[in-house]
Amino acid sequence: MPKETFKIKTLTDNNRMSTQELLQFITEKINEGYINFDIDACGQHNIGGSSWAKDRESKLFFTLRNPGQRVGAMALKGTKIVVEGSAPADVGWLNSGATIVVKGDCGDTAAHCAAGGKIYAAGRVGTRSGALMKHDPKFDSPEFWVLKNTGSFGFEFMGGGIAVVCGWDCDSLPSVLGSRSCVGMVGGIIYVRGPIQDVADCVEIKSLDGQDIEFLENGMAKFLQEIDKSELLAELTNWQEWKKIIPVSQDEKSKRMPVSEFRKNHWIKGGIFGDFIHDDFVVYKLPASGEGRVHIPVWNKENCVNCKICLNNCPENAISEEEKIYTSDSEKCIGCGICEAVCPKQCWSMTSNRKEIS
Amino acid sequence: MAAVNINQLHLDDLPWIIEYDESKCIQCGKCTAACSFGAIKPEVEKRRKPSQGLTKPSFDRIITIKQQVSFQHHCRGCGMCSRVCPNGAIKAVRNPNDRYSVRYRAAKAESLKKGGRSNLNTEGRTLDKIKIGRISQMTDPSLDAARHQFELRTPFGRILSADKLDLHSSNGKMELSKQLPPNRWIYPILMGDMSIGAVSWRMWEAMAIATAYLNEVVGLPVRMCTGEGGMPVRLLKSRYVKYMIVQIASGHFGWNRIIQALPDMVEDPAGLLIKIGQGAKPGDGGLLMASKVVRYVQEIRGVPRADLLSPPTHQGLYSIEESVQKMFLSMNAAFNFRVPVAIKVAASVTSVSVYNNLLRDPYNIVGGFFLDGLAGGTGAAHEISLDHTGHPITSKLRDCYLAAVHQGRQGEIPLFAGGGLGQTGSFAADAFKLICLGANGVFTGRLLLEIAGCVGNDTGKCNACNTGLCPAGIATQDICLTKRLDIDTAAQNIVNYFIATDMELKKLMGPVGNSTLPIGRSDALITVDKHISNRLDIQYVC
Repeated sequence: MPKETFKIKTLTDNNRMSTQELLQFITEKINEGYINFDIDACGQHNIGGSSWAKDRESKLFFTLRNPGQRVGAMALKGTKIVVEGSAPADVGWLNSGATIVVKGDCGDTAAHCAAGGKIYAAGRVGTRSGALMKHDPKFDSPEFWVLKNTGSFGFEFMGGGIAVVCGWDCDSLPSVLGSRSCVGMVGGIIYVRGPIQDVADCVEIKSLDGQDIEFLENGMAKFLQEIDKSELLAELTNWQEWKKIIPVSQDEKSKRMPVSEFRKNHWIKGGIFGDFIHDDFVVYKLPASGEGRVHIPVWNKENCVNCKICLNNCPENAISEEEKIYTSDSEKCIGCGICEAVCPKQCWSMTSNRKEIS
Repeated sequence: MAAVNINQLHLDDLPWIIEYDESKCIQCGKCTAACSFGAIKPEVEKRRKPSQGLTKPSFDRIITIKQQVSFQHHCRGCGMCSRVCPNGAIKAVRNPNDRYSVRYRAAKAESLKKGGRSNLNTEGRTLDKIKIGRISQMTDPSLDAARHQFELRTPFGRILSADKLDLHSSNGKMELSKQLPPNRWIYPILMGDMSIGAVSWRMWEAMAIATAYLNEVVGLPVRMCTGEGGMPVRLLKSRYVKYMIVQIASGHFGWNRIIQALPDMVEDPAGLLIKIGQGAKPGDGGLLMASKVVRYVQEIRGVPRADLLSPPTHQGLYSIEESVQKMFLSMNAAFNFRVPVAIKVAASVTSVSVYNNLLRDPYNIVGGFFLDGLAGGTGAAHEISLDHTGHPITSKLRDCYLAAVHQGRQGEIPLFAGGGLGQTGSFAADAFKLICLGANGVFTGRLLLEIAGCVGNDTGKCNACNTGLCPAGIATQDICLTKRLDIDTAAQNIVNYFIATDMELKKLMGPVGNSTLPIGRSDALITVDKHISNRLDIQYVC
């Protein structure tokens, strides 16, 4: 297996290799056994992606200059890509295990859908970076380290993995996450140092705990070493300056003050009709007894023969008799009218209980 | 048993018949206790037991449930009996042989009155035959309803075209020479337009609470129209009045108290609405039956107990021009030209003329045009008006919008459309389609009642709002009935419905690719009906 680095220049005499030509050429060389590549690219897409060494064991190593979009797209574990300088959009798109180091800035949508491996950015990254990162627990969590800041709309729909935004060289920025980041975020953690504003309301911002600090301490030295900035270690490890962003749980999301609480604590005291109506806001359940009855029974002694038919047929046991005087307990009576119906002497009559606000 | 006179009202004449299964009944009395119409009563029935030889036949006496046969106490089909029955022994079923409306007129020499909504439904619904067919795919990206920031607000108030802005330069800066007409940016769905009196105090307050909550907790700038029954002074003098659009109709009910409160108000109302007519009974004035004119309604309105009829016209207004000059000016003057003033009319074949006339608006005081279509609801109406007058909203809204487009003046006087929206379940879809056809926003009343717990529907169930016997405590002023309505649940349900509708509106805006309200974006709509395609000028598809 050739140990030497295979060098490719993709632009010679004004002839540029197309993306297809370059990628197929790389694959050809990998199949010949090469594992180290040094490529002067000319905007070709997907360099370093979806490749593996012929022996399935060796590590692939790419050094790139001037790559096109989607550096390390769909890259696998065992691949390492170092971009000397900046890289355009979609660095590490669907990264599934590679280590990708960009020594300059990244374009938009860096680490989009990354589900494994590590992406190290030595500068700023564009909008929608970290969107839809996710983590399959059977594999190592993806990591996305950014030295400076992200553009707006970062980490949309993030479902897992870890992002670290160090906020270095961002003194003039109002927010190191741009605006409206984390919309739809349901999983994962974002560690961030520096001011943030306008993040979506589906996340919460918290202080670091011991586990967070342990992770960052372990990872930070390695990150800074990869991007040749080890001298910043002390500056970036003052954990008081860091926060973490995590999604609020599904239950928390739908929590709002109940309207009943709003009425009791914020609304006009006594209600807007309070000067006309003293409303206790009691709700009559059906069938209601007491004042909630539509009809109430009235007993007339005149014809009563003390037969107790009404008393025995009342479904609510509301009627009682004492010395031939029959009464209906308004707290039990629902106003059904059965007493009126069964009385052979028409002693009970149902009358309307309709009452108006006086 | 009394002999039957064939001229008398009979069970078979009634619109609803109680189906009662004696074998399941435990005589608990819950059904008769719950029926607010007194349409069912317990009765003792005699059952003959045949003679077993030498003895004479005897009788069993059993308690049974009997439907009442009378104009006053007939069953409205509200279904409270079946809701409370523990055994499913009773229910109201529609009578296919119903002759009630004939019998009523013949017996009473009166026009038949009804609440709720038209039940004829002969037209079908145009909005259901329209789909949103322009979906952004590869041409331009669909917007994600969940994450995109949409701007759903719409203007309420007069908008001046750029050339009408009176600008001058002062010290190198551009300045306005005159105050601009007042304008509010509001949520495109307005609620209410139902008076204190037509609905119970709990229902009215539930809507007001929901409005305040939607503004202050949820962040949706929803506005509520008061209806023509005045306003409680406590609300007028509170800061929440800024969410209210105060109505003046031909009866001018309640304005005395509003005027008295002016010096003590801490906020301006969101707007004023001059109601000329309503879609459910166009050309007829408001009607509040005496049974609902209780003490506090009498006080707020300044009237005694009586059937309250608002005249079909404002007596002081004789022409469109006069409406603009007199009514709009007076209402603008009431709040010193700080509050936008709009007008509401029933949709009619004449609506375009009216709108064209308003569009001239030389004083810049016409802040909105509300068109109410025939499928709207009402607290009480003569059935003849409810079922046989009116104009569907969709084509008339479209006509008005296109009339403005024709003059290059669309958007100058915002258009709001209503009348039976949400009838078939999807309010957001109805709102969205009308907005695409040119509406700045929509309004709804009846739907709010259904959200709060109204048991009626568009096919004749209940619709007894006019009786004051509303079984749900919504269209009544009776204490024992009103207290059936849980004010907190009613308000919560309205809030929840708006939150859901807001999400659904975004679910429609996303695919169309609009970040802002797609007012007039009829290119987003398609129909498989050629007539609708021609009439509304939207794409025919098949």
